[in-house]
Amino acid sequence: MSTAHDAHADDHGHGHHGSPFIQHHYDDAQHQFDSGKFGIWIFLAQEVLFFSALFVAYILYRVHHGEIYSYAHKWLDVKYGAINTAVLIFSSLTAAWAVRAAQLNQKKLLVGCLATTIACACAFLCIKYIEYSHKYHEQILFGRYFDPCVSPNENPLITKSNDCAGKKTTIKWDYGAGKATEGCFEISALDLDPKEPGVQAECDVEEVHLAADGKTETSKKPITNICADKIGKGEEFEKNKYPCWKPSYQPAVCPDLTDGAKRAAGAAARPQVGILVDYGEGDHEHRGKDIAIKANCKKPAAPVAPDYFTEAQAQKPELGKALVAEHREEHSEHELLYAGPPPEHTNMFFTIYFAMTGLHGIHVLVGVFVFIWLLIRATKGHFTPDYFGPVDYAALYWHIVDLIWIFLFPLLYLIV
Amino acid sequence: MAIEHHDDHGHGLAHVAAPRVLLATGGTLLLLTLVTVVSSKIDFGGSSINLAIAMVIAVTKATLVVLFFMHLRYDRLFHSVVFVSAILAACLFVGFTLMDTGQYQHTNIWNPSAPPMAPIGPRPVNG
Repeated sequence: MSTAHDAHADDHGHGHHGSPFIQHHYDDAQHQFDSGKFGIWIFLAQEVLFFSALFVAYILYRVHHGEIYSYAHKWLDVKYGAINTAVLIFSSLTAAWAVRAAQLNQKKLLVGCLATTIACACAFLCIKYIEYSHKYHEQILFGRYFDPCVSPNENPLITKSNDCAGKKTTIKWDYGAGKATEGCFEISALDLDPKEPGVQAECDVEEVHLAADGKTETSKKPITNICADKIGKGEEFEKNKYPCWKPSYQPAVCPDLTDGAKRAAGAAARPQVGILVDYGEGDHEHRGKDIAIKANCKKPAAPVAPDYFTEAQAQKPELGKALVAEHREEHSEHELLYAGPPPEHTNMFFTIYFAMTGLHGIHVLVGVFVFIWLLIRATKGHFTPDYFGPVDYAALYWHIVDLIWIFLFPLLYLIV
Repeated sequence: MAIEHHDDHGHGLAHVAAPRVLLATGGTLLLLTLVTVVSSKIDFGGSSINLAIAMVIAVTKATLVVLFFMHLRYDRLFHSVVFVSAILAACLFVGFTLMDTGQYQHTNIWNPSAPPMAPIGPRPVNG
């Protein structure tokens, strides 16, 4: 307090010549300070308009596609968002205090406040890095890079078009057709010991045996002869090649095994049985090591994007049990392991998320450099009660960065 | 503190924020952050009500930041005019875009597989 008084007294004595940083084209320190302050407020107004474009994108998309927001925000961790909010608010406090310290010529306090602000900004960026890297690894990204392995509650997601490490399934959901268009299970995923024997498929099946010399032998079999109770393990399975499927779960060719008997003949065939999750009407192929199965199936009821699959359905599909739409509530007592596809265009949420938090993060990064510059100047004792403009302007910039985050946090993380 | 505050109005380049005000602002902001997180867990009877509550809290927090951390309460009126103008412009930006976006819901987007009908009348002659 006495320091403050001394500083003021000092200031009065020397006028604007007290600080060597008062430029000559200003009348006095006050003039220089006010000019800078006006400039920074114009800049802050620009910042508001700058970010408002992204808020327009956010609001517009939320008005038209609210379901995406209420689904996709669950991928964001409120914990990280709340910690970052607190960190930014605290850094805003230290930035405001830095201005006060500079005004009162409290040099050590000024350096401390600036250093704390920098530390908080770095902490914010570190937490953001944790969030971003998690999303990068889970492919919860913007635009066409949105291809997550897991649903918001960490269940494997039936929408992958790429392989996920450690996951057995690769299933892609076609929103236009309202069905899964691809999906291959490795042979180990097949249930070789079905619990429900009996006729379970409604398909006309044609069997093509593929010999090593490329010759084929075709035999037609009606579906009624193909029963789950014929499927055995190992060698037995090779003899009884037909899994039984309801129309919603038909034998078919894996996407990379589609080019017909030529490629698959003999040794070229992959030692894998593919199962296409296909709700469609018409011909389907199922190809194993030395066999191709063609099935003509009836069109089932209109497909619905399922909310959840059980483990048994998705990973080890039970024969005779259709892969049907089942709601979360109905499944509450079961173990939920495979989630259905997210709403269409969910990637737009993350496009907006990354655009907004990314631009905000760039502002934080810029703030770090500005405050490091201020810290260096503060240690050199540049800032005095008649020259503290840079601290004040940078603090104002920092507050607007905080202000934007104050809106981003509830809008992105706290959606109900 | 009071002395400082009084002192400042007479001299110095700008208002010096009182520690009490800074701490109270920071504390309230942190408290409101907690409140907004907790309120997001409670269903107030509709997501729009929750959104409104979250936005009221956010606007309150933003106002506190602007008034006390950014000193706008003690600053020149003209700086408030500049800042509020920018916010109003942003509101206009949002408002007009929202008004406009409903206008194109029935616009036919060109689809090569289902082209629109040819216009009635003679075909234009080339050359």
